Amino acid sequence: MSLIIRNLSARVKDGAQILNGINLEIPKGEVHAIMGPNGSGKSTLSKVLCGHPDYEVIEGTAELDGQDLFAMSVDERSRAGLFLAFQYPVEVPGVTNANFMRAALQARLPKGEELDAVSFYKTMRSKMTALGMDTKFTARAVNEGFSGGEKKRNDVLQMMMLEPSYAILDETDSGLDVDALRIVSDGVNAMRAPFRSFLVITHYKRLLDYIKPDVVHVLYKGRIVRTAGYEMVEHIEQNGFDFLKSEE
Amino acid sequence: MDFPQNMSMEEAFALAEAEAKLKQALTESKARFENAVIPNRLNEDWRFGRPHKHAVALAELLQSDTPSQGEATVQHAGEAAVPVTAEDDDLRQTEMLMPTIGSDALLGMHLKRFGDGYALYIEEDTKEPILLTYKTDTLYTPSTFIMVAPGVKAHVIEQHYGCEKGTIFATRNIQVAEGAELKVELQPYGCARCMSITNIQNMGGKVVHYTHHFACDWAREETVAEIYTPGADNQLFSANKLDLDQVLDQHTRQIHHVGGATSNLLYKNVVDDNATGIFAGNIYVAPGAHNTDAYQSNRNMLLSEKATIHSLPGLEILADKVRCSHGSASAPMDEEQLFYLLSRGIPRDEALALVSHGFLQDVVDKFERS
Repeated sequence: MSLIIRNLSARVKDGAQILNGINLEIPKGEVHAIMGPNGSGKSTLSKVLCGHPDYEVIEGTAELDGQDLFAMSVDERSRAGLFLAFQYPVEVPGVTNANFMRAALQARLPKGEELDAVSFYKTMRSKMTALGMDTKFTARAVNEGFSGGEKKRNDVLQMMMLEPSYAILDETDSGLDVDALRIVSDGVNAMRAPFRSFLVITHYKRLLDYIKPDVVHVLYKGRIVRTAGYEMVEHIEQNGFDFLKSEE
Repeated sequence: MDFPQNMSMEEAFALAEAEAKLKQALTESKARFENAVIPNRLNEDWRFGRPHKHAVALAELLQSDTPSQGEATVQHAGEAAVPVTAEDDDLRQTEMLMPTIGSDALLGMHLKRFGDGYALYIEEDTKEPILLTYKTDTLYTPSTFIMVAPGVKAHVIEQHYGCEKGTIFATRNIQVAEGAELKVELQPYGCARCMSITNIQNMGGKVVHYTHHFACDWAREETVAEIYTPGADNQLFSANKLDLDQVLDQHTRQIHHVGGATSNLLYKNVVDDNATGIFAGNIYVAPGAHNTDAYQSNRNMLLSEKATIHSLPGLEILADKVRCSHGSASAPMDEEQLFYLLSRGIPRDEALALVSHGFLQDVVDKFERS
């Protein structure tokens, strides 16, 4: 069981092509990291996989446990087990965190079955506490007025509540201070399991020091140009991405 | 004129002067009703509100033999509520003097049917909201008068039930004394046509006014919120979901006769299908009304290509040293917000409902916090 991406090319709708034939397989139980210079297509890849309407697939396929990902709507992809922790989590005024999460969890239940409110709140509060979040945030509108770090924690909270099979973390470390980075990483590490995979997108070694990847990919100009182990993280930290340009 | 025996000369002069002013104002009001024309598309205050269809039909109904017929009830008012009667000249005069925003002719017709509704003389804090309801399935023209005594905290909810085919044309005169706080809500439900003209006279208290229209085919709402005393605070809110062919035509004036006071307005609409929302707001700061804080914001979310919004915010500032702003934004639903909900597995219909409901809930939250 894996997330398998084959020869994926995609572009901004009516605009520039960003992804140029990506091949990637992430088996269950593994943590993969994607690194790459600005503009290489990392966030585009995550959005294309989740079905963001600003992008269109030109060619290629993506399978989620054997299911055709691109044949599914955005919400179906989520319910099938895909999760994206956003680089810039969105504010949704007037919709409380609790109602937002309840709607997302209710959508996963069989028709006619109601979410148990008591156990829902109990679970949500305990996960918030684990992430160092004030439980009063249940009644706050989603991300509205949150600091950058609070928004990132809130996205990780959603991941912990929804328990996806495949989670993409798009620069989750940006905007987090040292303590928050550790707390959020602890939360992610606690979710590592043989039945779950992570795709961690980041520029920096600091996140990957906490969430140790099994495989590291380097994305450049819309293609995976390197696949290696953790030593690649060390190499990039010391030398930057200049080695990619010299090989062009 | 008879003066009380213990009245000083100065007090007698002041009283005589007030009497003369009132007489003059009433004479002028009579003239404005006589000279007023039925609203039409050439009338600046009516041009988007389909007057050719609705204002004309309303005027015809008011000029017809159809009696004003409806049911008025009041709950939780104790001794504060008094039924309005045709013989109550003071209240009639108050209605005669109330300002309109382009509807003098219609107000004049409303006055000819004067004599129904409730006057609330609130002299004690309300423990639970006073609930006024006006209900009809034909034509009903009630008048509401709310007077809140100094330092008193009150909450009033006025509901209009039109039973799908009824027309309700209501007037509301609100006077709030120094240090008083009034929360007042207007909630029209299911009217074929619903018109309301509201005048708030704030004498140094706080008024938080909220309107919410639900399933009315056509509604016209005029709100003139006046400040007469420094320290007064008027907060005006409205949140509405419009669909099908509904029309909601909202006009507001925030008038600062004196400085050192605050008014704030936030009106939001979610407009779907073939519905139309109109907002025309004006902040008026009188000469010399310095240190005024006045804000006005109209926000609209359009959910269909045929949904229409006409938004005309405005400022008329004749004083220096003021802080005033006005703004308007109308746009489809934010795609990023929708995508965020979808990406969590929430089905599209439910995501649309949550985001649009949240857009309006923001107003409700602000009203409740005020």
